[in-house]
Amino acid sequence: MAFVEAGLDRPRWFARWAKEHLRVLLFSLGKIARAPLAAGLTALVIGIALALPAGLFVGVRNLSTIGYSWQESLQLSLFLKDSVSAERGLALAREIGAEKGVARTNYISREQSLAEFRQLSGFGEALDLLQDNPLPAVIAVTPERQQTQAAVEALVERLSQQPEVELAKLDQQWLERLYAILAIAERAVSIVALLLGLAVMVIIGNTIRLDIEARREEIEVMKLIGAPGSFVRRPFLYSGFWFGLGGGVLAWMLVGVGTSMLDAPSAELAALYGSDYRIASLSFVDGLSLIASGIVLGWAGAFVTVTRRLAQIEPK
Amino acid sequence: MTDLIHFDHVSYRYPGGNDVLADVSFAVAQGEMCYITGPSGAGKTTLLRLIASLCRASRGQLLVMGQNLSALKSRQVPAFRQRIGMVFQNFNLLYDRTVFDNVALPLVIRGYAYDDIGRRVRAALDSVGLLGKEKVLPLTLSGGEQQRVGIARAIVTKPALILADEPTGNLDPEMALDVMRGFKRFNDAGVTVLIATHAIDLIEALPHRIIHLEHGHITDKRPTAASRLKEVVADGVR
Repeated sequence: MAFVEAGLDRPRWFARWAKEHLRVLLFSLGKIARAPLAAGLTALVIGIALALPAGLFVGVRNLSTIGYSWQESLQLSLFLKDSVSAERGLALAREIGAEKGVARTNYISREQSLAEFRQLSGFGEALDLLQDNPLPAVIAVTPERQQTQAAVEALVERLSQQPEVELAKLDQQWLERLYAILAIAERAVSIVALLLGLAVMVIIGNTIRLDIEARREEIEVMKLIGAPGSFVRRPFLYSGFWFGLGGGVLAWMLVGVGTSMLDAPSAELAALYGSDYRIASLSFVDGLSLIASGIVLGWAGAFVTVTRRLAQIEPK
Repeated sequence: MTDLIHFDHVSYRYPGGNDVLADVSFAVAQGEMCYITGPSGAGKTTLLRLIASLCRASRGQLLVMGQNLSALKSRQVPAFRQRIGMVFQNFNLLYDRTVFDNVALPLVIRGYAYDDIGRRVRAALDSVGLLGKEKVLPLTLSGGEQQRVGIARAIVTKPALILADEPTGNLDPEMALDVMRGFKRFNDAGVTVLIATHAIDLIEALPHRIIHLEHGHITDKRPTAASRLKEVVADGVR
């Protein structure tokens, strides 16, 4: 194919590719800068659509963190019979501590229990009225982490068989329930995220579609003078990219503002439960992946629309 | 092969419609300049569209620059079209971009370096006499100037073939002759030029081979100027 291309060097493909993408990147940014309000509103709608599932995600994450931090302190309490001496209690605590599946034991004598109760409960004066110490000695057993629920329950069963033990108690049912609820919530967040992700694609697709209609003649001219589909498509894909990026950043900001607004009241609530737990917002990595998903959705929404529409526009 | 364009029994029919072109055969040699004439609806535009692969022949074979167009895959069409310079009656400029950006577009599509693009665009604008208007928007130019921008865009890639569809249709006679002289200059530089036109006076001013179409066929008839058309009709009445 002889072809008059005299006097011009075509740069290597990578240089061409990089230059072309940089050009379109700046071109599409310039187009947005010329109509900042319209572009901003589109980005805001996308931001809200992304912020909803992200906010729910943060909520579920916080609840499960609270649950987990309580699981950390999961303990079973062995209430010893009053007849067991302090020496025997200590020895028993050591014996149990050496058993399989037990991380740690702590012997709390009757006197320690009383002192602790007096200090923490606020019923100190009431205790003074009693002649005897009503509290039993307790061995607090911390099971090793990452055990199955069955293993922990077997441990409870075994320890309650010890002759010195009056009662073995493990209260984790509420935790199981919390986790079951959180599993449902997580699934619900996934569904909401999926639907709103689709919504983001539709929003971007619609914005791009209007843009394509407005620039129909320009597209026809470009095709007339031999622009390949990828060349015509690229500016629209970059519009989708910018909308997705803007939406992602706005979503991150919205979630950040939301959590900081909830911070004070939730800290107050935590304090009422004797916890210094503070609500956690999106981590840096989560924020980046929120932006990344915005970009991916924006690009994909633009791609679907542009591919479908451009095929319909042929030069007359 | 010296034929740049070769029509071999080419027909074109609109989907579900009449034949626009029927059994057309002709060849255009490299470096030739041709007028395509004929009344409206005779198939001039369709002929040019077929050459630019904007539509496909229903029957027959069409070779352009050594390329059999019926064998051209649709994803190869843009690259093929880049090798042709096209000029339109309604200019088909992008009105939100400067003259420079309009003329640069074919080079930008092919990904040339900016320095080269700048040089080439200025050279093309110089050859149509618009060097000082680079930064201007096309709408502020006269029709003749806009058409010259369109021509600069068509020649900026130094194509071997220029197709012009009624390039002077929207221009006053002086501008029209100017534009035609421009095409002649490119032809003198070795470019093959095909011009579909009604402008008999321009053809007479710059005579070249004529391919005359009527009802989709090539005929030996020649276009008639409006001034003489009146006499013919008057003779008929008399």
